[in-house]
Amino acid sequence: MLKVDELNVYYGRIHALRDVSMQVESGKVVSMVGANGAGKSTLMMTLAGVLKPESGTITYDNEPLADTPYKVLAQGICLVPERRRLYANLTVKENLMMGAHLRKDRAAINTDIDRMMDLFPIMRERVKQYAGTLSGGEQQMVAIARGLMSRPKILMLDEPSLGLAPLIIRQVFDTIIQLKQEGMTILLTEQNAFQALEISDYAYVLETGSVSLHGPGKELLEDTRVQEAYLGIKQKTVKEL
Amino acid sequence: MQMLMQTIVTGLAVGGIYALMAVGYSLIFSILNFSNFAYGGIIMLGSYMGFYALTLLHVPFAAALALSMLGAAALSFLNERIAYSSLRKRHAPSLYFMISAMGTSIFLENMVYATLGSSYNAYPEIFGQSSISLFGSTIGKLDLFAIIFSLIAIYIMNYFIQHTRTGIAIRAASYDSEVSQINGVNLSAVIGLVFILAGLLAGVSGVFLGMKYMAYPTMGWITNKAYISAVIGGLGSLPGAVVGGLILGVLESLVSVYVSSLLRDVFSFTFLIVLLLVMPSGLFGKYLEEKV
Repeated sequence: MLKVDELNVYYGRIHALRDVSMQVESGKVVSMVGANGAGKSTLMMTLAGVLKPESGTITYDNEPLADTPYKVLAQGICLVPERRRLYANLTVKENLMMGAHLRKDRAAINTDIDRMMDLFPIMRERVKQYAGTLSGGEQQMVAIARGLMSRPKILMLDEPSLGLAPLIIRQVFDTIIQLKQEGMTILLTEQNAFQALEISDYAYVLETGSVSLHGPGKELLEDTRVQEAYLGIKQKTVKEL
Repeated sequence: MQMLMQTIVTGLAVGGIYALMAVGYSLIFSILNFSNFAYGGIIMLGSYMGFYALTLLHVPFAAALALSMLGAAALSFLNERIAYSSLRKRHAPSLYFMISAMGTSIFLENMVYATLGSSYNAYPEIFGQSSISLFGSTIGKLDLFAIIFSLIAIYIMNYFIQHTRTGIAIRAASYDSEVSQINGVNLSAVIGLVFILAGLLAGVSGVFLGMKYMAYPTMGWITNKAYISAVIGGLGSLPGAVVGGLILGVLESLVSVYVSSLLRDVFSFTFLIVLLLVMPSGLFGKYLEEKV
């Protein structure tokens, strides 16, 4: 279980995360929803060890989480960063191999590359192409596959639907559901609150750096405050908060 | 015709050395995005190490070459750890790296002036004045050896970068160092390795330059030519650096023979400026832009 307690992170001079506490239980899909600039990516980058917290603790299975990215990955937590950020100068296959950079089991790496092709059949025709030549949707598939290549215990997906066409977004969410069924633990951030909440076991709403609401995904979907702020549903009677 | 052949071969020999330096330069540029002006100092010290290995230790040439490569690799590694790593950890802009590199370069040069003096040190004759005939022209054995050895060294380096997992990690880190770390790359180790690889090439080029032109404190300035080669090929591109080095070497040699050797450097820098006006990203400009 990944547990975050009273986390404070500054991004330059901006107090980007304020006393954020949350947890991700294994086998669950947990999402962080919130507007642009709410601090979702800051949280992900901090968990991945890229940003350093000012105060607060992050533990994974009761051990403190490392503060260096490659050590975090070695502990089994892998981030698929926002905007995909594939290595455009590497081929699709090389991108996948980079995902498995810390692994030593060569034979199993090759089997896993094959498995990724089964998961995303479109990649099979693209293995030798430079990742920079792929469409946005294809790049997102490769980015998720690259993350899976590390055989993570927790997969963190930062805004996987950003900038994609609705049909492709559907595919991305289908993939997340499939991974969940295979038992993968997933931490997801999304602006696309409706779809994220629908597939989440638990969710947190981030507003200007702090958690304003949390609860099971389905419950938040019913919450009037969430509906008004993030799902664009107007209530007939305005309730006091 | 025979004259032309000979000029081209001489040009290729010099070009091979330019290519070696340009590849080392480009490797560092591609991962840290700044021009490592201290590289010339490393080459100069590599050349001195080869010279002293031959004249004081009296080791065979192959051993002197190996010593020089290892010594230059160690210096290059220290260069990064002392002068750049703290800047890197504080995310300093490239300009600071360049200033630090210039400082290192001036320091190394003056340290050699102060301790070893400003004299020009001629390498002992390794290949004698012997030459062999090829296609009707005579080629010095040194030139031939330089061409072959440079190309082999570059080939091995390129194979390593293109086909090994560590090589892929170097290319990945040079494209996006932050994401490479998220993928498990120990960035500090990879950067250290890149400086070691560049140092190995600096050792080879230092010894060849010493054999061709002698070892002296300011010889590092010849890396200007490596810089031009790298820019001709497209900064950051390794095949570009090789092609750029060979083109520059041959053109310089043609200018020296058919125009005037005094105009050689004027030509090189004019060529650079014109090329940048016409093809700002060089022959093999950097890879495809990321699609958002």
